[in-house]
Amino acid sequence: MMLARVADSLYWIGRYVERAEHVARLADVMLTATLDRAETAAQVARIALSAVGDATPERIATPFESSRGLALDRLEGNSVVSSLALARENARQVRDQITSETWERLNLVHLRLAGAGAAKSFNDGSSAFLHDIIADLHLFKGAADATMSHGEGWRFLLLGAHLERAQLIGRLLEVCFGRGGERLDHPTLTAVLRMSCALEPYLRVYTADVRARPILEFLLLNAEFPRSIRFCTDEIEAHLSVLSRHTEAVHVGPGRLAGRLKARLQYADMAEIEREGSHVFLEGVLAECGDIHRGVYDAFVAYPLEMRLPA
Amino acid sequence: MEYGVATAQRSEEIDRALAQAAGVAAVEAAARPPYDEMHAPDGSVRPHFAALARRLADLDPGELDERQRTLERFFLLQGITFTVYGAESTTERIIPTDLLPRIIPADEWAQIEAGLTQRLQALNLFLADIYGERMILKDGVVPRELVLGAPSYRREMQGLYVPHQAYANVCGSDLIRQEDGAYAVLEDNLRVPSGVSYMLANREASKRTFPGTFRLAGVRQIDRYPDLLLTTLRSMAEWRPNPQVVVLTPGVYNSAYFEHAYLARLMGVPLVEGRDLVVHDNMVYMRTTTGLRRIDVIYRRVDDDFIDPLTFRRDSSLGVPGLFNAYRAGTVVMCNAPGTGVADDKAVYAYVPEIIRYYLGEEPILPNIETFLCREPSQLSYVLANLDKLVVKAVGASGGYGMLIGPHASLAQREEFAQALKADPANYIAQPTIQLSTSPCLIDGQIDDRHVDLRPFILSGEKITVTPGALTRVALRKGSLVVNSSQGGGSKDTWVLAGPGDDLS
Repeated sequence: MMLARVADSLYWIGRYVERAEHVARLADVMLTATLDRAETAAQVARIALSAVGDATPERIATPFESSRGLALDRLEGNSVVSSLALARENARQVRDQITSETWERLNLVHLRLAGAGAAKSFNDGSSAFLHDIIADLHLFKGAADATMSHGEGWRFLLLGAHLERAQLIGRLLEVCFGRGGERLDHPTLTAVLRMSCALEPYLRVYTADVRARPILEFLLLNAEFPRSIRFCTDEIEAHLSVLSRHTEAVHVGPGRLAGRLKARLQYADMAEIEREGSHVFLEGVLAECGDIHRGVYDAFVAYPLEMRLPA
Repeated sequence: MEYGVATAQRSEEIDRALAQAAGVAAVEAAARPPYDEMHAPDGSVRPHFAALARRLADLDPGELDERQRTLERFFLLQGITFTVYGAESTTERIIPTDLLPRIIPADEWAQIEAGLTQRLQALNLFLADIYGERMILKDGVVPRELVLGAPSYRREMQGLYVPHQAYANVCGSDLIRQEDGAYAVLEDNLRVPSGVSYMLANREASKRTFPGTFRLAGVRQIDRYPDLLLTTLRSMAEWRPNPQVVVLTPGVYNSAYFEHAYLARLMGVPLVEGRDLVVHDNMVYMRTTTGLRRIDVIYRRVDDDFIDPLTFRRDSSLGVPGLFNAYRAGTVVMCNAPGTGVADDKAVYAYVPEIIRYYLGEEPILPNIETFLCREPSQLSYVLANLDKLVVKAVGASGGYGMLIGPHASLAQREEFAQALKADPANYIAQPTIQLSTSPCLIDGQIDDRHVDLRPFILSGEKITVTPGALTRVALRKGSLVVNSSQGGGSKDTWVLAGPGDDLS
């Protein structure tokens, strides 16, 4: 049992932190690609910028500025600094619910990004700067895991993180392999794996055979890699089934949706997905993630009072 | 008009006293040096500061400065900040915190503790009386219109049962030390006093800074405060087995939000906002992930006006519609009770010594500061004639606003205030300018004296408990007497030393 507002905030902390980490990684990969051939750099920039929303030709042509924008522009809704400010604002609202260790990690990375020295640090060494942000966010997750009770609040935090991750990876795959996707060259495919933090785990499964189809298979269906959509849906289902235990039977919504999505990925077959068109499958998965998000709200946060008043 | 006599007597007495004292006492007061907490007049270190003085002699200013920065970093990291809203951007600042503790010996604390207990006992009885039989008004000890006409008097509270007659469950009284070293009460805070989180956080910080000295000195512990607070709150709903306590905050944008979250976390109870609560059939519930759950005790950190838009201010969105009715119905307890503000009203303050004598038949252990009520014509004329020596305060204001410090004000400021006084005399009181005592502080790497006051916290439920510690507020500007955080004040830790009979905890 916890306050509905608190559950909502924890859920959003999970989402925003996940988003910040993903965007920081995209910005980093985009910068690294500028060292490659111009066509590759442009392709990587297009993918990275499309995956977070805004890929105009000017922005693709100026990867350094775009990368700095993704990291530090407060006016950009998806930038790392914006996401972390929101995560921290939510954390402040539930300061009594998270441990000091967890709070300190988040507060620290927020202060560093929002502080006066951030732009200079970025200009002095952008890759190192982004790398440190990602490492700090891992520390936050580690602190949450190691110091918070693994009860309801922690589950809402992880539910948010995994739902966000499934949607972010889904969107990235859609940009790369969905409708109207162009043929990607080898360095670009490697960059896509880096954007999902999947290069090393991928190589261990498929060796250095970097091709579009196994990449799609790995990021979609791998059971063990924590950023594959299948892994995320397993987690979402697991957290929701525990969280739903105490809600009344009428509110089976999000748990049922999550179970169905989990089964869909668990029993999916790559050949079948390709026959239908991978974009159809990806669109379906993203739509169901959206439904789960709304279902969580209806069941736990914004439920109608009439149904819960004592008789 | 049975209450008219006492008032007349009182003002006659004052007139006599004034005639003798006028012009002499005030001038003398301004010339007397403030009491020095650490040094005796001959320059020697007072015994209770000896351990700290030895430690300070060993540390060079650079080391102290570094410790100060470590401390500030600790506060920033913990989010012990208040928000400053500016035109361009919103920033968070830590409340300036001073490293060097203020130290109070056991015998002085014994007097403070007894005095505060006595005072809160009397004030609770006073509140129970004015919202009940009103004997003290009938007996003419306190003027009727002063109480019933105060904006903080809540007619809605009349005849309501309050468990243990504990109206002010949490009280933070401001004490000052006069030039001769005697403690006196400057103000009582019975509404929603804040600052206790700084008391606790300052202690954490000073333990880290002076671990050895702290151990040697024999400082009494304050970390049981959250535990005692919870016990106090629970004692207000004894008829319920295992009562559900919550802390009600106006929200994250309130300047004391950190404290609300801090206390909720340390007590292990939910921190709720108005929008989390629902009243149904005069029962109060909070919205949880598994449905609605009943609440028994609300430690509210929301002002009276904003508790319930149906009863108090209609434009408030911070409160809970129907909450006051549920409170009247007795299904939920609010702490502090609404309407306690009337007892810390600056005009009622002048009568507290009388209130103590009336209910307890005892002499006040802690004196008041001499106070002139401008509502009395004779006192008003004295105040107007001595504006350059007095501190004038608006009755309804707090936080250092609406205040004139005569000796520090310009002629134009004094004249402006004189006009305001004549226009609405009942709204003002005046007190002599007291040189608050000084204590050593670390200012820009150097140790220098600054004026301080003292805010201990008193809990009252089934019984009254004074936590052996306090928030010492510091006027960081040299010579300034204003310690409010909204006016550039800071704070420091306060060490209460254990006496022979005292347990450290």
